[in-house]
Amino acid sequence: MSFYQTWLPFIYLYGVGGIAFLFGTFLIYRTGALRVNYETHKKWIWVLFYGYFFYAFIHALFIYLAIGSI
Amino acid sequence: MENILGTNLDRIVILAYFAVVMGFGAYFGKYSKTTSDYFFGGRRFAWWLITISIVATGIGSHSFVKYSTKAYQYGFSSTMTYMNDWFFMPLFLFGWLPIIYYLRLGSIPEYFERRFSREARYIATFMILMYMIGYIAIQFLTLATALYKIYGIPLMLTVVLIAIATTIYMHFGGQTSVIFTDLIQGFILIFAGLLLFSLGLSFLVENTSYSSGLKALWDNLSPLEKLPLANFNSPPDFNFVGIFWQDGIAGSIGFLFLNQGLIMRFMAARSVNEGRKAAAFNVLVILPISAIVVSNAGWIGKAISNSVPGALPIDLAPNDVFVAVANLITSPGVFGFIIAALCAALMSTSDTLVNASSSVIINDIYRPLTKNKSSDKEQLRLARLASVVVKVIAVCLVPFFNSFESIYEAHGWFHSTFTPPLVVGVFLGIFWKRFTSTAVIATFIGGAFLMILGQMYPTLISPFSHGIELRPGRGYSYIGALYNLFVCAGVGVLVTFFTKPVSENKLTGLTVFDVHKLKNIFKGSDVNESIGKPVVVHYKIKDLNEGMVSFSKEDMEITKSKKGDLVYIQDQRWWLGGLKSIHATFDEPHDEKGIVYINETQCDSGMFIKGLALKAEKEM
Repeated sequence: MSFYQTWLPFIYLYGVGGIAFLFGTFLIYRTGALRVNYETHKKWIWVLFYGYFFYAFIHALFIYLAIGSI
Repeated sequence: MENILGTNLDRIVILAYFAVVMGFGAYFGKYSKTTSDYFFGGRRFAWWLITISIVATGIGSHSFVKYSTKAYQYGFSSTMTYMNDWFFMPLFLFGWLPIIYYLRLGSIPEYFERRFSREARYIATFMILMYMIGYIAIQFLTLATALYKIYGIPLMLTVVLIAIATTIYMHFGGQTSVIFTDLIQGFILIFAGLLLFSLGLSFLVENTSYSSGLKALWDNLSPLEKLPLANFNSPPDFNFVGIFWQDGIAGSIGFLFLNQGLIMRFMAARSVNEGRKAAAFNVLVILPISAIVVSNAGWIGKAISNSVPGALPIDLAPNDVFVAVANLITSPGVFGFIIAALCAALMSTSDTLVNASSSVIINDIYRPLTKNKSSDKEQLRLARLASVVVKVIAVCLVPFFNSFESIYEAHGWFHSTFTPPLVVGVFLGIFWKRFTSTAVIATFIGGAFLMILGQMYPTLISPFSHGIELRPGRGYSYIGALYNLFVCAGVGVLVTFFTKPVSENKLTGLTVFDVHKLKNIFKGSDVNESIGKPVVVHYKIKDLNEGMVSFSKEDMEITKSKKGDLVYIQDQRWWLGGLKSIHATFDEPHDEKGIVYINETQCDSGMFIKGLALKAEKEM
């Protein structure tokens, strides 16, 4: 399997998608929409980053297992 | 007539399903008394109710067939489109959701008027209505295509019967019916999909030497079919980068920010935080499950093809894999139940879109034209009539979509034509204060023109192609979305720099930069952020001012509330999900601890039962 089939889509997805994610997170932080001193908002920050890494982990795991099954 | 599929038992199961859903939906019609109830369910529901009903909205009748096909052809990468929606969640949860909720927007086009101009609203209304009605027509066509083979009824008659069936329960119920029928249908969809998966794994165990179905599935897929993401840029009809731009970017923004049906669902939540929970749970938990639900027939089909020769036809067309696998691994009656799940997908997606369309017709056409002079009762009657008209138009459009080479082509044409200008318009509107009214109209018109040029001359899209092959005579498929987004955004940005921006005062509350002020705007006074505890109370009827309720001094101390704060009161039974509840404002306190004074109208609206306790909590 080539790099085009395995890790390039992953890097592109979490690279370009990651830029959108970080830009959005930065924007809501800078504008005061997300307030780190609010207890409920603190939990949401964790949820937001958890979601990003959760999906990255699932995708990476399956790519790793697929490569390992050759 | 072509081959008629299924047994009489299957047909009875499908008919029984329609009857149960219609009765269920009609029952909840009694909870729709105002246009607010009809469109937004009275903004009172718990997050879990919203989440499950979103499942049924997100999975259309075409999803099972479409994703099973891709799963059969390409394996686990069929799940890509269900697992790339997280990137815009920060902006949605803390940007767009508070804006639409706290501004009490009746529709997406209403935002365009408040942010830009009435002209922008009219163009947005036209585009959104066209998109939704077309989508409904495609849903009707998809299910009718499956059902007419089972019942042997002509296609168009099947379409009409489906339209009538969905009308019966929607007509009276509105959003409350939609939410509760979608709750049931969401469970049915997930259950049917997982049942099919389970039966498929059992079939593999019974017909191979494996003792574990999952192991049999894994070992009978090739390494390429186990990859969760498609090849970067080939083949042209299924590649990662094209699907990323069409679905992960344009699709995700379109779904989260512009899907009027979804937006109305979030506005039915009892608070912004409940809406956030619903959205996050949906994307984190429900979407991965949904990916399995809609794709597994394809994976099972591929594993069966590789491990049980002759079980499935050698020349099986990928499009037929869902029905073929369902037929092979289920018994009579169960097959009917699986097809009923297809019906559930159709009914739940189309009812949401029909309700959203009638909301747009009333909020964006009728009310502005009549200057909102008619009574709420009259508008409610017209909303119901509008939902019927929408379905009639959708039925009339079915032959047009039937003329496309495939349903997916029709669907893709709609998506690529109507979504990008709206996506760019709303996105720049929220996140760029300088973006002007002239620029958004130019985005709609100029962007659409350049998009059409791109369809006519695909070489214009080549610089964006990421190496994807240009198919002679067919152009580019998914990656066209990147070109469309680019030209629409380009027109919008360019025109903005040549036009004068409006003063910032006129944009208050309409961009992400003012989200922190929205609670004050919503409440009409300073927000009370002190954290109190909920109280359990019983009600007494008093003649209070409209929208006011009165608690005892002690209860107000526990909830940390003051006169003028907002309160949410619900039946104490959590499993009702807020169905029996009201929003109100704290009035002057009294001295009867554990008692809340409400008026007759509030009691009627909340459907409160004498003697049953209520739970009350301060909102802000």
